[in-house]
Amino acid sequence: TTDDIGLILTVVCHMLSGTSPPGKPVLLSCRSPEKETFTCWWEPGSDGGLPTTYRLYYERERLEGVHECPDYWSAGSNSCFFNKTHTLIWVDYYLTVVASNALGNATSDIFKMDVMEIMKPNVPENVTLLVVETEDSPYLHIRWEHPRNTDTESGWVTIKYELRIKQEKNNKWKEYMSGTQSHFSLYSIAPGGVYTVQVRCKLDHGSWSEWTNSTNVKVPNYVQNERSFWILVATLSAIPFMAAMCILIVKRENVKQCVLPPVPGPKIRGVDFHLLMSGQSEDSTNALIINQNFPLIVGWKDQMEEYLIVTENDIGPPSDASHCQKRKKSLIIPAGFCSDWEIQCKSTHIQNDCAGGTKNETGNFPKNNKSLSGESLSYMEPSKLQKQQCLGQNFVNTEATDPSPLNYDNAVKPFTNSGYVDIRKHVENTQEVNVKQVDYSRVEDVNGDNVFILNNKNLAFNSSGYMDFQRQEEKLSEDYSRVKEVGSNNVVVLQIQDMSADTKNPHATGAHKMGVCTELINSEYIDTIPAPPLM
Amino acid sequence: MARFWCAVLILACLELSTRVGTAPICSYGQAGCHTPSLADIFDRVIQQSSRMHGISSDLHSEFEQYFFPSKNLIGKPKCHTHGIVTPADKENAQRLGREQLTEVILRLLGAWGDPLLQLYRSMSQDQNQDFNHYSSNKALEISDMVHELRDGVAKMAEKMKLSGVLGNTVGYISPEGLVPSSSFSFYKHGELNSMDHHDLLYCFRRDSNKIKNYLQILKCTTLPGLDC
Repeated sequence: TTDDIGLILTVVCHMLSGTSPPGKPVLLSCRSPEKETFTCWWEPGSDGGLPTTYRLYYERERLEGVHECPDYWSAGSNSCFFNKTHTLIWVDYYLTVVASNALGNATSDIFKMDVMEIMKPNVPENVTLLVVETEDSPYLHIRWEHPRNTDTESGWVTIKYELRIKQEKNNKWKEYMSGTQSHFSLYSIAPGGVYTVQVRCKLDHGSWSEWTNSTNVKVPNYVQNERSFWILVATLSAIPFMAAMCILIVKRENVKQCVLPPVPGPKIRGVDFHLLMSGQSEDSTNALIINQNFPLIVGWKDQMEEYLIVTENDIGPPSDASHCQKRKKSLIIPAGFCSDWEIQCKSTHIQNDCAGGTKNETGNFPKNNKSLSGESLSYMEPSKLQKQQCLGQNFVNTEATDPSPLNYDNAVKPFTNSGYVDIRKHVENTQEVNVKQVDYSRVEDVNGDNVFILNNKNLAFNSSGYMDFQRQEEKLSEDYSRVKEVGSNNVVVLQIQDMSADTKNPHATGAHKMGVCTELINSEYIDTIPAPPLM
Repeated sequence: MARFWCAVLILACLELSTRVGTAPICSYGQAGCHTPSLADIFDRVIQQSSRMHGISSDLHSEFEQYFFPSKNLIGKPKCHTHGIVTPADKENAQRLGREQLTEVILRLLGAWGDPLLQLYRSMSQDQNQDFNHYSSNKALEISDMVHELRDGVAKMAEKMKLSGVLGNTVGYISPEGLVPSSSFSFYKHGELNSMDHHDLLYCFRRDSNKIKNYLQILKCTTLPGLDC
């Protein structure tokens, strides 16, 4: 009871004097710089006005009992230092700090830690900067050493470094990772600049250390002199260059003349270019045209007018003569055929292979079998017909009674009678044959290239003796001349009809050249017109 | 048209795969094959273990943040590998010697193959917790890495034995012999709750750090060089 009274008196005394038991301390953190030792710090609570002592107690995994801190002083006040013998990695420590004074105790919360988690190394040491001068450009070489007390050789810890560099002018740090190397090179530094470098490191997966103190270096700028020399040279050479450009621009017309001479215009012989350009003068146009030596072109007659139409009947294997005879073939001669020819062929019967003869003919028959009207017109594809033969497009109006001989260069025998051949140029579609009682010859068939088989109608050429057509081989309304055979190169071999009594028995002989008609031996012949040179 | 492009794609894939496939796998050191050196194997293995530890550490801290944000003491987790005697400081580790160190590494790796797979299955099946749903990939990743690392370390040990660096006392250690079955008692097979997940993650984070550290020591005692 006296103890109790004494205690109560002490407390009352303390309360009256403003003292109290200590406040609860707080464990702040622990840290291991090299994974071999560690230190813990706490913050004391209020001391209650009385001298207070602090004690750290710990429990540990795989260790029985509660133990007290082995070293309160090495690491400063309010700290506890665990040396190598007391440090184990990968085990949990449970720490508490007890503050006690005369009036009472206070215990902090339990602080659980594992050394693996609290690693934070010391700062790296001896950071040195060196400007290395090479021929092209200098660079900055930075070296440092591992932090104190850290064992980097056994592999127990892995240190990674990081550095940051700042130029004097701007305030921005640039950070670089260095891995495990303890040196670093910075290229492309500005001459005359001042650089500041700091380095820090970390262990394994732990926290970064603090930055080292700044280290500065100044890069000498002798390199600039060299550069300024070249700048001067460039500036001086720029002046004449600019002058040259000015002159060029001012005199650009002359320059253009010199560099890009005008392209000479076209020249046409016999024609004054300028005259042409100035206007359409008759002379010039004539000169242009006449020069060419074109033959006079007779105007095209209306296509609906008489023309020489060659029609063709169905082609079939001729079985008997009668069939053949009944065939009407009409082909339309394309332009270019020796038109003006006085078809002085006799009425030759073109005997298609009726007589079982000429194979050529059958084979040469155009395949086109379109028959329109009773006329059984058909047309040849223009390709099969002779093109540009003879003389251009020759249109002769068969109806014209007066012979209008065309003036051709070469032997053109004028018709005495009106027996003209009006040849249509391009056959687009079948046209009705203008069946008039006109004298015309029909090409019966056209084979191959420029071969035509004349089909002589009842041309009243008899009088002239030129065209003596013998028809009536059959009861055909028209007389035909038949080509006996067709050669390869525009050769038409006409055959004279044998049927008619009047027929002599001519032979169609000879091969034509293009546009040349065969000349029959007998009176029935086809006059030949030699091909004009233009062909 | 679609078929045509399909065919083109298939052909391209085949070509690529054949190209990949033609790279020789030198498991037996055939002639003409570039076998990696011991230093290369060490580097690869250490890199792998470092990555494995990083992922498990992330997973653990995420787990703690999600489930125990108030940071109160969760208790004292007991790991099923505590039966494996491991050096806990530098001196002990260096004193152990290469053979024993290798054996410890292999034991640890072997002890974690199965539990990690269980952890992954448990996490992926648990649809209630978002954390499990999104983090089960990481569990799968570390599970795979443990298996790969085990094979890698075994190969490394073979190579060391061949070059005479390692004695022949290191034999093949079967997973069953590593960990006594009693240690598995606190892991109920098939039914793991969050506490179990936490304990597993906590323990594996620690063990993966051990593995990485031991490998580094092994490397630096076998091949001292710049990186040590």
